[in-house]
Amino acid sequence: MADKPKVAIYWLSACAGCDESIVDLNETLLEVAQAVDIVLWPVAMDFKYSHIESLKDEEITLSILSGAVRNSDHEEIAKLLRKKSKLVLALGACACFGGTAGLANFTSKKDIFNWVYRDAPTVVNPETKFPQTETRINGNVLTLPEFYEHVYCLDLLIDVDFYLPGCPPPPGLIASAVKAVIAGDLPPKGSTLAPRTALCDTCPRNRLKPHRIEIKQFKRIHEWEADPNTCFLAEGILCLGPVTRTGCGESCIQTNLPCRGCFGPPPGVVGAGPKYLSAVASLIKAEKDEEIQEIIDSLVDPAGYFYRFTQPSSILGRKKPWKEMEE
Amino acid sequence: MWKSIHQGLAGVEPAVKQFLPPCQMQCPINEDIQRTNILISLLPDDLELARDGIIQIGDYLFEKNPLFTVCGYVCGLCELECNYQAKGGAIRRRLLKRFISDTYTVYLNQKEEFNLIKQKENVAVVGGGPGGLMCAFDLSKRGYRVTLFEASDRLGGALWLIPRYRLPEKVLTSAIDNLVRIAGIDVKYNANVGEGKLTLEKLRNEGYKAVFIAKGTPAPRTLTFGREKVEDQSLSGIMYGTTFLYEVSHGEIRPNYFVGKKVLVIGGGNVAFDVARSARRLGGETTIICLECEDKKSKDHIPADWEEIRGAWEEGIHILYSRGVSKILGESGRIQKIECPRCTSVFDETGFNPQFDLSDTIPVEGDIVIITVGQGADRAALQAEDLLDEKGALVVDPVTLQSLKKEWIFLGGDLRRIGFMADAQKDGLIAAESIERYLRGLSLKEISPRLYEAQDIPRRSHYLTEPEVLWIPPEKRMHFQIFERGFTLPEAIDEAKRCLSCGPCISCKACLSIGIQESLPTVEVNKDRCCGCGICVSVCNYDAAQLKDVEIRRISFTDTFKCKSCGMCVVACPSEARKLVGDNMENRINAVYASL
Amino acid sequence: MAEYNPKLVCFSCKFGWDYLSEEPGRASRIANWIPVVCSGKIDTSHILKAFRSGADGVLILGCSEGHCHYQDGNIQTKKKVLLLRKVLETFGIEPQRVEMKFSLDPEGKGIPALITKMGKNLIKLGPIKRL
Repeated sequence: MADKPKVAIYWLSACAGCDESIVDLNETLLEVAQAVDIVLWPVAMDFKYSHIESLKDEEITLSILSGAVRNSDHEEIAKLLRKKSKLVLALGACACFGGTAGLANFTSKKDIFNWVYRDAPTVVNPETKFPQTETRINGNVLTLPEFYEHVYCLDLLIDVDFYLPGCPPPPGLIASAVKAVIAGDLPPKGSTLAPRTALCDTCPRNRLKPHRIEIKQFKRIHEWEADPNTCFLAEGILCLGPVTRTGCGESCIQTNLPCRGCFGPPPGVVGAGPKYLSAVASLIKAEKDEEIQEIIDSLVDPAGYFYRFTQPSSILGRKKPWKEMEE
Repeated sequence: MWKSIHQGLAGVEPAVKQFLPPCQMQCPINEDIQRTNILISLLPDDLELARDGIIQIGDYLFEKNPLFTVCGYVCGLCELECNYQAKGGAIRRRLLKRFISDTYTVYLNQKEEFNLIKQKENVAVVGGGPGGLMCAFDLSKRGYRVTLFEASDRLGGALWLIPRYRLPEKVLTSAIDNLVRIAGIDVKYNANVGEGKLTLEKLRNEGYKAVFIAKGTPAPRTLTFGREKVEDQSLSGIMYGTTFLYEVSHGEIRPNYFVGKKVLVIGGGNVAFDVARSARRLGGETTIICLECEDKKSKDHIPADWEEIRGAWEEGIHILYSRGVSKILGESGRIQKIECPRCTSVFDETGFNPQFDLSDTIPVEGDIVIITVGQGADRAALQAEDLLDEKGALVVDPVTLQSLKKEWIFLGGDLRRIGFMADAQKDGLIAAESIERYLRGLSLKEISPRLYEAQDIPRRSHYLTEPEVLWIPPEKRMHFQIFERGFTLPEAIDEAKRCLSCGPCISCKACLSIGIQESLPTVEVNKDRCCGCGICVSVCNYDAAQLKDVEIRRISFTDTFKCKSCGMCVVACPSEARKLVGDNMENRINAVYASL
Repeated sequence: MAEYNPKLVCFSCKFGWDYLSEEPGRASRIANWIPVVCSGKIDTSHILKAFRSGADGVLILGCSEGHCHYQDGNIQTKKKVLLLRKVLETFGIEPQRVEMKFSLDPEGKGIPALITKMGKNLIKLGPIKRL
C-alpha cells in the first residue's frame, strides 16, 4: 500500500472542466486509480487540508492543479501542494496561462465587486454589503480568502514542472501524461505535454487555403456561416490556429468553429496575443489610413479575442518580468 | 561623400545560379543597373552635396564601362525589359545615366590615370570604335601593352554617325579621349591594317602576340532593285547616308545646306531616320522612302524605333511606306525624280526577298537622294588576310570570337554581326577574355555563354507611372542641340526610387556599400516549429517564402535568390519559426531595453 | 508631482531617415534611438517589451507612402500599430503612447524635434499606470 505513488488533484479558480476531463478517462481512470493513491480530489473525494498538511515534504509524487490563482486561498493551497509534492502539473489553460479567468485582468477588483454585488440586474443588495476577509459575529471571527487585484497563472507563484494545456484538456493527453509519470518516463522539467507545432500543422483545412490570404473584411462567426471547406482566416474569420499549439484533435474545427486558442502558444512564442496581432495585421489588405482604421474598427474586442486564454501569462499581462517558456 | 566600398562584402558577386534582374540580362554587358539605381535614389537633393556621390557612382560605372557617359545618350536597351513596363512604365534608366554622365563628363578630364603595371604581351587592337576601345581598355587593365590602330584621324568609329541632337560632341570626345588616357593606351591614327604594307603578318613580326579586329562596317550597301544595282548614271545629288552623317559630324556641312531642296532618304532603319532628321535640320523638305510597312505587328514592319518615327513625324518629315526604288532619273546631270513601285512583301521563307507590284509605281521628285540601306564590312581586306571562307563569310567562333583560321586573331563588333554600341562593347570584353586565355595557355573551351533567368517584379500596393519625357517643340528643334530634356537632381532621385530592385541581393548590395547594413542577413526557417500555415507566403512580396510538402507535413522555406532579407516574414510568422541570422537589430533592442 | 522624465524608445527606418547624416555615429549617442532596416521589421512584441522594460512611449519613424524600399513594410507597420492601439486601450494603456510618423528625412535633422514633441505629450499623460 505504501508503495503506490501519491497523487493530488486540486482545483483553484476553476470551472471543473479539467476535472471532468479526468473523469472522462473512463475505464482508464479505474486503471489509474488502482496504480496510484489519490490523496486529494475535492470534486470526487472527501479529504481535508489537514490531511495534506500532515504529509512529509515531497511525499506526494504528483500534484495536478487546474484553475488560475484569483484569491489568497488558491495561492495558499497551491504553495502547500508544491511543498508536499515532487512534481506539479499545471492542467488546463487556466493553470498554464491563466485561461478565461484571466480576462478579468482587463477590469478591476472594484469594478467586478460593484457589478457582482450591486449593479447586476438580478442582484438585490440594498445596503451594498461586500464580502469581507474578516467578519466578527457573536465573538467569533469568520474569515474569507482575500480576492486579489489580479489573476495569476500558476507558474508566476510556484515552480511548475509540466504543463498540459487545453480548455478542457483532451482526456487522451491526460492519460498519456499520468502513465508517463507512473512509469518514470518524463521529459525535461518545464515541458508541455503536448505536440510541438501549431494547429495548422494538423488542421485538415490547411491545404484548403488559397495561395495568398488577403483579408478585406473581418467576419464574426455568429453572423456568418463559415464554409466548411475553407480555412477560416481566408474568409476573414479570426481563427487562432496559427498561434496555438496543436494536440486537441481540432475538435472545434470539426464542428465548423474557428480555433479559440485554448492550447496556448506553440514552443518558442512568448506571447500568443502580440504574435497573432502581427500575423493578422499583415494579412489585412488595405493601404490608406482610413481603410485600415475601418477594418480594425470592425473588430469587436481584439484584446479579448487575442488574449482569450493567455492574458495573465502575456508580456503586458503578467505581473512580473516575462520568462521564456520551454524551448 | 559615402564611404562606398566596392570590395569584400559589398562587392557584387558574379551571377550565381544565373539570376539577374531582367534589365541587367538585356544589357549586353550586364551593367550593375540595380545597384547604381539604388545609389542614385539615396543621393542628397542638393547638387553641391550630391556631386561627390555622383562621381562615386560614375567611377563605379566607369570601371566596367568606360563609355557609360555615351550610353546615357544613345542606349536604353535595358528599358525594353524593365519589369515596370507593365505596371506604369519602364524605369527611365537611360536618362538616369545621362544625369550621371553630365556631371561625370566634366570630371573625367581630371580623373587620374590608372597606374597600370603592364608587363604582359603586346596586343594589337584594330579599329577604334566601341568594340576596339572596350577590348583595349580591358586588356590594359589586365596588364597587356595595347596598341590601337585606327584607320581614320579620330577614334570612335560608328559612334560618330550619331547626330549631335542625340549625342553632344563633348560627351563623345571626353569619353573616348579620357578612356585612352586613363588606361594608357597607345593609339596610331591613319593606320589602316589590311591596307598596303600594314598587314597582320607585319603586326606579328613587330611583336604583337594577338590581334582583335573590330573594324566595323564602313562600306555602305548599294541600292539594288531585283538584285541589280540601281544605276545612278553619275548624277550629282546622290550620296550615301553614312558618308553624309560622317561629314555632318566633321562639321563640314553648313547649316542651311538643304534649304529649298527636296531630300529623299531611302531606307527604314534608325540610321535612315538619323539621316532624314539631320537633313531636315539642314533645311531640307525631307521624305523617307522605305520598303517596310507601318504596322509594327507585321513581319515586314519598319525597323526604326518608335521614338525616331514619332520625332521625324513631329519635325515634318514625310514617310512613304512599302515603296522600293526601281529607277533614278535625272536631267542635265542632276537628279529629277525616282520611281517607286509598291512593295508587297519584304521577307519570306528565304529571308530578305522583296516583291513588287510594278503596275503601282509612283514618281517622287527630289533634288537629293541619300541612300541608307545598310552597311557592310571591308570584305576585300578580310579576304586578303584569309579570314573568310569560300562563301565569303567570316570564319570565327561565335562564343570565343577566335578566328577559326588563325588562332592569334580575334574578331568582333559590327564586323562580325551588326548590333548596338553595347553589343560591340560586349564583343570587346569577350575578346579580351579570350585573348588572355589564349596567351596564358588556358583553355578557351571553358568560356560558355551565360544563360540567365529573369526575376519578376516585386508585389506592392500601388505602382507609379513613369515621368513624361519632354522634347522641345518641333518648330524649335531645327538645330543640332539636344532636344530631349534630361533629369534634374530631384527628378533623378525620384525616378531612381521607382526602381523596385527586382534582382537578387548578391548582384546588387547597394545597401552594404553605403553602410545601411553591415552584412546581408539570411532567413532561417526552423522546420520543427513551422506549421505550414502559409502566412509567410502571403506576406512576402518577392515570392521568396514558399511552401513545400515534406512527407506528411507542409513546411515553408525561403528561396535565397529571391529573398531580400526584409524580415516581413519573420514578424508575421505566428510560430516564431523564422529568424534573420546576421541581423543585429535584436541585440541593439535588448541593449536599449536593458538600460531603460 | 516630482520631476517626471518620460522614457521614449524611438525606432527609425534607415532607408528613409538619417542615411545622409553628417555624423554617422549619432544613433549610439542619442539615448534609446534604434535605427532599423525597414520599420516593418518592428514586431508587436518589441513594442510591448519596451513598455515592459520601463518605456513610457514608443515612436516609430517609417518611410512615406509608396517609398518603402521593401515595397510595403511601412504599411505593415501602420496596420500593426493601429490594431495594437485598440488592444492597448483594453489593457489600460493610452493609445497615444505608440506614435508613428511616415516621411523622408535623409539628414535626420527632424528626429530630435520629433522625440522632444512626443516627450511633451508623454509628460501630459504621466507614467504608465497599470504595469
